[in-house]
Amino acid sequence: MFSRLASDAEMEKRKADEFEPGPASPLKPVDRFGFVKQDQNNSLEAKNRPNEVEREESRIRKWRKMIGVGGSDWKHYVRRKPHVVRRRIRKGIPDCLRGLVWQLISGSRGLLLMNPGVYEQLVIYETSASELDIIRDISRTFPSHVFFQQRHGPGQRSLYNVLKAYSVYDRDVGYVQGMGFLAGLLLLYMSEEDAFWLLVALLKGAVHAPMEGLYQVGLPLVQQYLFQFEQLVKEHLPKLGQHFSEEMINPSMYASQWFITVYSYSFPFPLALRIWDVFLYEGVKIVFQVGLALLTVCQNNLLKLGFEKLIHALRNFPEEAMDPEKLLPLSFSIKVTKRLEELKQEYEKQHGTSLAQFTSSSKPLKSLQSPAKPSND
Amino acid sequence: MGSSSGFGSGHDYSFKILIIGDSGVGKSSLLVSFISNHVDDLAPTIGVDFKIKHLTVGGKKLKLTIWDTAGQEKFRTLTSSYFRNAQGIILVYDVTQRETFTNLFEVWAKEVELYSTNQDCIKMLVANKVDKESERVVTKEEGIAFAKEYGCVFLECSAKTRENVEKCFNELAYKILEVPSLLEEGSTVVKNTILKQKQERQASAGGGCCS
Repeated sequence: MFSRLASDAEMEKRKADEFEPGPASPLKPVDRFGFVKQDQNNSLEAKNRPNEVEREESRIRKWRKMIGVGGSDWKHYVRRKPHVVRRRIRKGIPDCLRGLVWQLISGSRGLLLMNPGVYEQLVIYETSASELDIIRDISRTFPSHVFFQQRHGPGQRSLYNVLKAYSVYDRDVGYVQGMGFLAGLLLLYMSEEDAFWLLVALLKGAVHAPMEGLYQVGLPLVQQYLFQFEQLVKEHLPKLGQHFSEEMINPSMYASQWFITVYSYSFPFPLALRIWDVFLYEGVKIVFQVGLALLTVCQNNLLKLGFEKLIHALRNFPEEAMDPEKLLPLSFSIKVTKRLEELKQEYEKQHGTSLAQFTSSSKPLKSLQSPAKPSND
Repeated sequence: MGSSSGFGSGHDYSFKILIIGDSGVGKSSLLVSFISNHVDDLAPTIGVDFKIKHLTVGGKKLKLTIWDTAGQEKFRTLTSSYFRNAQGIILVYDVTQRETFTNLFEVWAKEVELYSTNQDCIKMLVANKVDKESERVVTKEEGIAFAKEYGCVFLECSAKTRENVEKCFNELAYKILEVPSLLEEGSTVVKNTILKQKQERQASAGGGCCS
């Protein structure tokens, strides 16, 4: 009875917090990334360790040298020492340089420079069929981050603009739930226009294979990734794979959002960032590797669970399993590149030309270089 | 106080429930409101989500396995498979958004017809957000008329104030209990027998016989 009363009181408090108008109260403690703190003792916060600050500063110096003024030395460095770059990215891009580096490694910088004025055109002059859908989700995207909390505040406005611009830029894709988390994550590190072009670079494939199939009708790329992931689980973790089939668990029940939002939907932010560092440089295989690493870490526990507890566990990994310092090294050690390619071909064979059809119907990235023509359909 | 949440195996029947409807009508809120007695602003559901609720209805201990689905059209390729073997389907609309109501005819009733494998499955129509009475555009009568035409149980509720939220799930469970074929599907005893048969089949399949 007593605990019930306590929870009622808690509810009242929560309600009161909810109806507080205007920007988030400055009294609310936020973590180093700007999220309102849920619990005070965040064990994953790096700042507690004393020599961490010093090490961080020396890393930043190295990174600055590698990038050069405004990114001038970057291309040269990457060509000369790709392995050094990869190693450093895997250790995590310094937070203060993250936005810039993400643009350099994703190829979005180039797109931005080649398409002056295009973003503005899309935001100001075009109308999108998805506007209402976007508005409905704006306040539901990273609601616990100070930048996005204020109704109609700068965070929500830029999020709307980026999503609207993209929905006009590629009307086949339009707006799909999940894209908001990608855009939101990017907006914490760069301007609207930069975030937009990074989204374009990812979905149209500036450096890696295009990922627009994640959001096209039928979610063809999600289906392919889920197929590949299911096979990889069976191959890398046969016992668990067997257990999943016995319990009738398939990856669409737990892993769809891993792929659709590249871990930006419900994973701890510090982990999501570290995954994104690698994702933008090395491509989507890291999403598979992290997924397999998570299952590996939790395997012994998962093997004991029946359907319901299993599916709950797969959506709520323990905090210690999501420590980037442990999870990422394990992820890198899981080799998937060759099998991913083979499984992709297998999937395409099984599903005819479906995926090829989808990709051929959409604009290739090359057409980007000409300014977007106003389309009045 | 017949209901309690959390895991446990002491139940007489286990039923699969599916919640569908347009994006933003409050499907996840309805579910969270039912499970945990309060509602925060929730992120859009990506793909599917899943919750368990134990409750007692008519003296029977029940376990509801409730699948919450993404409402946006593009996600239907991921969500359609979850209609299979559902004993109850909850169709939700928002009384302040007419389109979410018209889409019940245009979209959701057709989805049910297409993907539901269960002839006798109980359908429940839920009009959500009745706390926003001043913004209401779909009348109760319209809801009743739809429910009648499509053979649904009908309730108006608010996930926010929790008005009728428990009633919604209780009534659905009650209706399911009234249908013998659904009862049989949900019976723990029957399920265990099937499981045993399956395991035996698997064991014998190892000997090279399968059909």
